Amino acid sequence: MSVSAAKLSAAPAPGRVRRHLLVDRIYHWLMAAGVLILMATAFLPIIGYKFEWLGLHWTTGVAFSALVLIHIVRAVIWQDFWAMMIDAMDIRNGWRRVARVLGGSGPAPGMPGKYNGLQKLYHAGIAVLVLATVVTGLMMLIKIDTPWWRRNPYVLADYQWGVTYAVHGLAAMALITMVMIHVYFALRPDEWRLTRSMFRGWITRAEYDGHHDKQRWAADEG
Amino acid sequence: MELFRYATSIYGGSDMLVGASWGLLKWFVAAGVACIVVHAVLKAVTSRRVHGSR
Repeated sequence: MSVSAAKLSAAPAPGRVRRHLLVDRIYHWLMAAGVLILMATAFLPIIGYKFEWLGLHWTTGVAFSALVLIHIVRAVIWQDFWAMMIDAMDIRNGWRRVARVLGGSGPAPGMPGKYNGLQKLYHAGIAVLVLATVVTGLMMLIKIDTPWWRRNPYVLADYQWGVTYAVHGLAAMALITMVMIHVYFALRPDEWRLTRSMFRGWITRAEYDGHHDKQRWAADEG
Repeated sequence: MELFRYATSIYGGSDMLVGASWGLLKWFVAAGVACIVVHAVLKAVTSRRVHGSR
Protein backbone atom coordinates (compact mmCIF):
# COMPACT_ATOMS: atom_id res chain seq x y z
CA MET A 1 0.00 0.00 0.00
CA SER A 2 1.38 3.42 -0.86
CA VAL A 3 1.74 6.13 1.78
CA SER A 4 -1.04 8.22 0.27
CA ALA A 5 -3.37 5.22 0.10
CA ALA A 6 -2.62 4.34 3.72
CA LYS A 7 -3.34 7.94 4.77
CA LEU A 8 -6.61 7.84 2.86
CA SER A 9 -7.80 4.59 4.45
CA ALA A 10 -6.81 5.72 7.96
CA ALA A 11 -8.28 9.20 7.69
CA PRO A 12 -11.81 9.75 8.97
CA ALA A 13 -13.92 9.54 5.86
CA PRO A 14 -15.68 12.84 5.30
CA GLY A 15 -18.89 13.35 3.44
CA ARG A 16 -22.23 11.76 3.14
CA VAL A 17 -23.60 8.55 1.72
CA ARG A 18 -26.83 8.63 -0.20
CA ARG A 19 -29.44 6.30 1.31
CA HIS A 20 -32.74 7.34 -0.27
CA LEU A 21 -33.37 9.15 -3.54
CA LEU A 22 -35.82 12.07 -3.51
CA VAL A 23 -38.42 10.02 -5.39
CA ASP A 24 -38.27 7.30 -2.72
CA ARG A 25 -38.59 9.81 0.11
CA ILE A 26 -41.59 11.43 -1.56
CA TYR A 27 -43.09 7.97 -2.02
CA HIS A 28 -42.52 7.13 1.66
CA TRP A 29 -44.18 10.28 2.95
CA LEU A 30 -47.11 9.98 0.53
CA MET A 31 -47.59 6.41 1.78
CA ALA A 32 -47.41 7.65 5.38
CA ALA A 33 -50.05 10.31 4.70
CA GLY A 34 -52.21 7.72 2.92
CA VAL A 35 -51.97 5.21 5.78
CA LEU A 36 -52.85 7.86 8.38
CA ILE A 37 -55.86 9.11 6.38
CA LEU A 38 -57.04 5.55 5.77
CA MET A 39 -56.69 4.64 9.44
CA ALA A 40 -58.39 7.81 10.63
CA THR A 41 -61.33 7.39 8.25
CA ALA A 42 -61.60 3.68 9.11
CA PHE A 43 -61.23 3.67 12.87
CA LEU A 44 -62.36 7.08 14.18
CA PRO A 45 -66.02 6.34 13.35
CA ILE A 46 -65.66 2.95 15.06
CA ILE A 47 -64.42 4.48 18.30
CA GLY A 48 -67.17 7.09 18.31
CA TYR A 49 -66.15 10.06 16.14
CA LYS A 50 -68.92 9.96 13.56
CA PHE A 51 -68.42 11.72 10.20
CA GLU A 52 -68.86 11.04 6.48
CA TRP A 53 -65.83 8.84 6.15
CA LEU A 54 -66.52 6.65 3.13
CA GLY A 55 -65.75 9.14 0.32
CA LEU A 56 -62.38 10.15 1.73
CA HIS A 57 -61.58 6.52 2.60
CA TRP A 58 -62.16 5.01 -0.81
CA THR A 59 -60.58 7.86 -2.80
CA THR A 60 -57.49 7.72 -0.57
CA GLY A 61 -57.53 3.94 -0.93
CA VAL A 62 -57.49 4.17 -4.72
CA ALA A 63 -54.56 6.63 -4.62
CA PHE A 64 -52.81 4.42 -2.08
CA SER A 65 -53.28 1.37 -4.32
CA ALA A 66 -51.74 3.28 -7.24
CA LEU A 67 -48.74 4.19 -5.04
CA VAL A 68 -48.29 0.55 -4.02
CA LEU A 69 -48.38 -0.51 -7.68
CA ILE A 70 -45.79 2.15 -8.59
CA HIS A 71 -43.59 0.99 -5.71
CA ILE A 72 -43.76 -2.67 -6.79
CA VAL A 73 -42.83 -1.80 -10.39
CA ARG A 74 -40.04 0.53 -9.24
CA ALA A 75 -38.67 -2.01 -6.75
CA VAL A 76 -38.60 -4.79 -9.30
CA ILE A 77 -37.21 -2.82 -12.26
CA TRP A 78 -35.18 0.14 -10.97
CA GLN A 79 -34.29 -0.56 -7.35
CA ASP A 80 -32.17 -3.32 -5.84
CA PHE A 81 -35.04 -5.74 -5.20
CA TRP A 82 -32.81 -8.25 -3.37
CA ALA A 83 -31.59 -5.61 -0.90
CA MET A 84 -34.94 -6.02 0.90
CA MET A 85 -35.07 -9.83 0.77
CA ILE A 86 -34.06 -11.85 3.85
CA ASP A 87 -30.99 -13.95 3.05
CA ALA A 88 -28.90 -16.59 4.86
CA MET A 89 -26.55 -13.97 6.30
CA ASP A 90 -29.48 -12.09 7.88
CA ILE A 91 -30.67 -15.33 9.51
CA ARG A 92 -27.17 -16.12 10.76
CA ASN A 93 -26.71 -12.59 12.13
CA GLY A 94 -30.15 -12.70 13.74
CA TRP A 95 -29.36 -16.00 15.43
CA ARG A 96 -26.06 -14.68 16.74
CA ARG A 97 -27.76 -11.53 18.04
CA VAL A 98 -30.44 -13.54 19.87
CA ALA A 99 -27.73 -15.76 21.40
CA ARG A 100 -25.92 -12.69 22.69
CA VAL A 101 -29.07 -11.07 24.08
CA LEU A 102 -29.75 -14.31 25.97
CA GLY A 103 -26.32 -14.07 27.54
CA GLY A 104 -24.50 -16.58 25.34
CA SER A 105 -21.09 -16.11 23.83
CA GLY A 106 -19.95 -16.96 20.32
CA PRO A 107 -19.13 -14.95 17.24
CA ALA A 108 -20.45 -11.42 16.99
CA PRO A 109 -23.18 -10.81 14.41
CA GLY A 110 -21.95 -9.26 11.19
CA MET A 111 -23.07 -5.87 9.99
CA PRO A 112 -26.05 -5.65 7.64
CA GLY A 113 -26.25 -4.29 4.14
CA LYS A 114 -28.58 -1.37 3.47
CA TYR A 115 -31.30 -2.97 5.62
CA ASN A 116 -30.89 -5.29 8.60
CA GLY A 117 -32.77 -8.56 9.05
CA LEU A 118 -35.48 -7.11 11.28
CA GLN A 119 -36.12 -4.25 8.86
CA LYS A 120 -36.52 -6.80 6.06
CA LEU A 121 -38.84 -8.91 8.23
CA TYR A 122 -40.89 -5.81 9.03
CA HIS A 123 -41.08 -4.93 5.33
CA ALA A 124 -42.25 -8.47 4.47
CA GLY A 125 -44.93 -8.28 7.16
CA ILE A 126 -46.21 -4.88 6.15
CA ALA A 127 -46.13 -5.88 2.47
CA VAL A 128 -48.46 -8.82 3.20
CA LEU A 129 -50.82 -6.63 5.25
CA VAL A 130 -50.85 -3.75 2.76
CA LEU A 131 -51.45 -6.10 -0.18
CA ALA A 132 -54.28 -7.78 1.74
CA THR A 133 -55.96 -4.42 2.45
CA VAL A 134 -55.39 -3.15 -1.11
CA VAL A 135 -56.76 -6.27 -2.84
CA THR A 136 -59.79 -6.56 -0.55
CA GLY A 137 -60.32 -2.79 -0.59
CA LEU A 138 -60.38 -2.71 -4.39
CA MET A 139 -62.88 -5.59 -4.33
CA MET A 140 -65.06 -3.67 -1.87
CA LEU A 141 -65.19 -0.73 -4.32
CA ILE A 142 -67.62 -2.87 -6.36
CA LYS A 143 -70.14 -2.47 -3.52
CA ILE A 144 -70.19 1.34 -3.58
CA ASP A 145 -71.26 3.91 -6.17
CA THR A 146 -68.33 5.68 -7.81
CA PRO A 147 -68.10 8.12 -10.75
CA TRP A 148 -67.21 5.12 -12.93
CA TRP A 149 -69.77 2.48 -11.97
CA ARG A 150 -72.93 1.78 -9.96
CA ARG A 151 -72.68 -0.54 -6.99
CA ASN A 152 -73.16 -4.23 -7.65
CA PRO A 153 -73.15 -6.37 -4.49
CA TYR A 154 -74.08 -9.52 -6.42
CA VAL A 155 -70.65 -10.15 -7.92
CA LEU A 156 -69.77 -12.32 -4.90
CA ALA A 157 -71.88 -14.48 -2.61
CA ASP A 158 -72.65 -13.17 0.89
CA TYR A 159 -70.11 -15.44 2.60
CA GLN A 160 -67.43 -14.36 0.08
CA TRP A 161 -68.10 -10.71 0.91
CA GLY A 162 -67.92 -11.66 4.58
CA VAL A 163 -64.46 -13.17 4.10
CA THR A 164 -63.37 -10.12 2.07
CA TYR A 165 -64.50 -7.70 4.80
CA ALA A 166 -62.95 -9.86 7.54
CA VAL A 167 -59.55 -9.96 5.80
CA HIS A 168 -59.71 -6.17 5.17
CA GLY A 169 -60.57 -5.46 8.80
CA LEU A 170 -58.02 -7.83 10.34
CA ALA A 171 -55.19 -6.60 8.08
CA ALA A 172 -56.12 -2.96 8.75
CA MET A 173 -56.10 -3.51 12.52
CA ALA A 174 -52.75 -5.33 12.29
CA LEU A 175 -51.42 -2.28 10.42
CA ILE A 176 -52.08 -0.21 13.56
CA THR A 177 -49.63 -2.45 15.43
CA MET A 178 -47.10 -2.15 12.59
CA VAL A 179 -47.39 1.64 12.37
CA MET A 180 -46.90 1.95 16.14
CA ILE A 181 -43.71 -0.14 15.91
CA HIS A 182 -42.51 1.87 12.89
CA VAL A 183 -43.01 5.22 14.63
CA TYR A 184 -41.32 3.89 17.78
CA PHE A 185 -38.19 2.91 15.86
CA ALA A 186 -38.21 6.17 13.91
CA LEU A 187 -38.17 8.11 17.19
CA ARG A 188 -35.46 6.05 18.93
CA PRO A 189 -32.24 8.07 19.23
CA ASP A 190 -30.11 5.11 18.09
CA GLU A 191 -32.13 4.89 14.86
CA TRP A 192 -32.26 8.64 14.28
CA ARG A 193 -29.79 8.45 11.38
CA LEU A 194 -32.34 6.36 9.45
CA THR A 195 -35.16 8.80 10.21
CA ARG A 196 -32.95 11.70 9.14
CA SER A 197 -32.13 9.87 5.91
CA MET A 198 -35.85 9.61 5.15
CA PHE A 199 -36.06 13.42 5.38
CA ARG A 200 -32.73 14.43 3.86
CA GLY A 201 -31.67 11.38 1.88
CA TRP A 202 -28.25 10.72 3.40
CA ILE A 203 -26.34 9.25 6.30
CA THR A 204 -22.86 10.34 7.22
CA ARG A 205 -19.83 8.41 6.04
CA ALA A 206 -19.08 7.55 9.70
CA GLU A 207 -22.60 6.13 10.15
CA TYR A 208 -22.16 4.09 6.99
CA ASP A 209 -18.80 2.76 8.16
CA GLY A 210 -20.13 2.01 11.64
CA HIS A 211 -23.40 0.32 10.77
CA HIS A 212 -23.13 -1.29 7.34
CA ASP A 213 -21.17 -4.02 5.59
CA LYS A 214 -19.64 -2.45 2.47
CA GLN A 215 -19.66 -5.82 0.73
CA ARG A 216 -23.41 -6.04 1.15
CA TRP A 217 -24.24 -2.40 0.41
CA ALA A 218 -21.94 -0.50 -1.92
CA ALA A 219 -23.28 2.96 -1.24
CA ASP A 220 -23.09 6.05 -3.44
CA GLU A 221 -21.49 9.25 -2.20
CA GLY A 222 -24.22 11.78 -1.49
CA MET B 1 -63.50 -12.19 22.73
CA GLU B 2 -65.17 -12.38 19.33
CA LEU B 3 -62.91 -12.66 16.28
CA PHE B 4 -65.61 -11.93 13.71
CA ARG B 5 -68.90 -10.08 13.30
CA TYR B 6 -71.96 -12.03 12.18
CA ALA B 7 -75.42 -11.01 11.00
CA THR B 8 -78.62 -12.98 10.80
CA SER B 9 -79.40 -14.06 7.25
CA ILE B 10 -82.68 -12.71 5.84
CA TYR B 11 -83.25 -16.24 4.50
CA GLY B 12 -82.92 -17.79 7.95
CA GLY B 13 -80.44 -20.49 8.80
CA SER B 14 -77.02 -19.91 10.31
CA ASP B 15 -75.50 -16.48 10.91
CA MET B 16 -73.51 -14.87 8.09
CA LEU B 17 -69.95 -13.63 8.44
CA VAL B 18 -69.88 -9.86 7.82
CA GLY B 19 -66.36 -8.90 8.91
CA ALA B 20 -63.73 -8.81 11.64
CA SER B 21 -64.80 -7.93 15.17
CA TRP B 22 -63.92 -4.33 16.04
CA GLY B 23 -63.46 -5.49 19.62
CA LEU B 24 -60.05 -6.72 18.46
CA LEU B 25 -58.92 -3.13 17.91
CA LYS B 26 -57.74 -2.68 21.50
CA TRP B 27 -55.78 -5.96 21.31
CA PHE B 28 -53.87 -4.85 18.23
CA VAL B 29 -53.05 -1.56 19.98
CA ALA B 30 -51.99 -3.54 23.06
CA ALA B 31 -49.76 -5.74 20.87
CA GLY B 32 -48.04 -2.61 19.54
CA VAL B 33 -47.51 -1.27 23.05
CA ALA B 34 -46.18 -4.69 24.19
CA CYS B 35 -43.67 -4.85 21.31
CA ILE B 36 -42.44 -1.34 22.10
CA VAL B 37 -42.09 -1.98 25.83
CA VAL B 38 -40.34 -5.35 25.36
CA HIS B 39 -37.87 -3.87 22.87
CA ALA B 40 -37.18 -0.81 25.01
CA VAL B 41 -36.52 -2.98 28.08
CA LEU B 42 -34.31 -5.41 26.13
CA LYS B 43 -32.32 -2.52 24.67
CA ALA B 44 -31.89 -0.92 28.07
CA VAL B 45 -30.74 -4.20 29.64
CA THR B 46 -28.35 -5.16 26.84
CA SER B 47 -26.82 -1.68 26.57
CA ARG B 48 -26.27 -1.65 30.37
CA ARG B 49 -24.58 -5.05 30.03
CA VAL B 50 -22.33 -3.76 27.22
CA HIS B 51 -21.43 -0.58 29.12
CA GLY B 52 -20.91 -2.55 32.32
CA SER B 53 -18.42 -4.91 30.66
CA ARG B 54 -16.22 -2.01 29.46
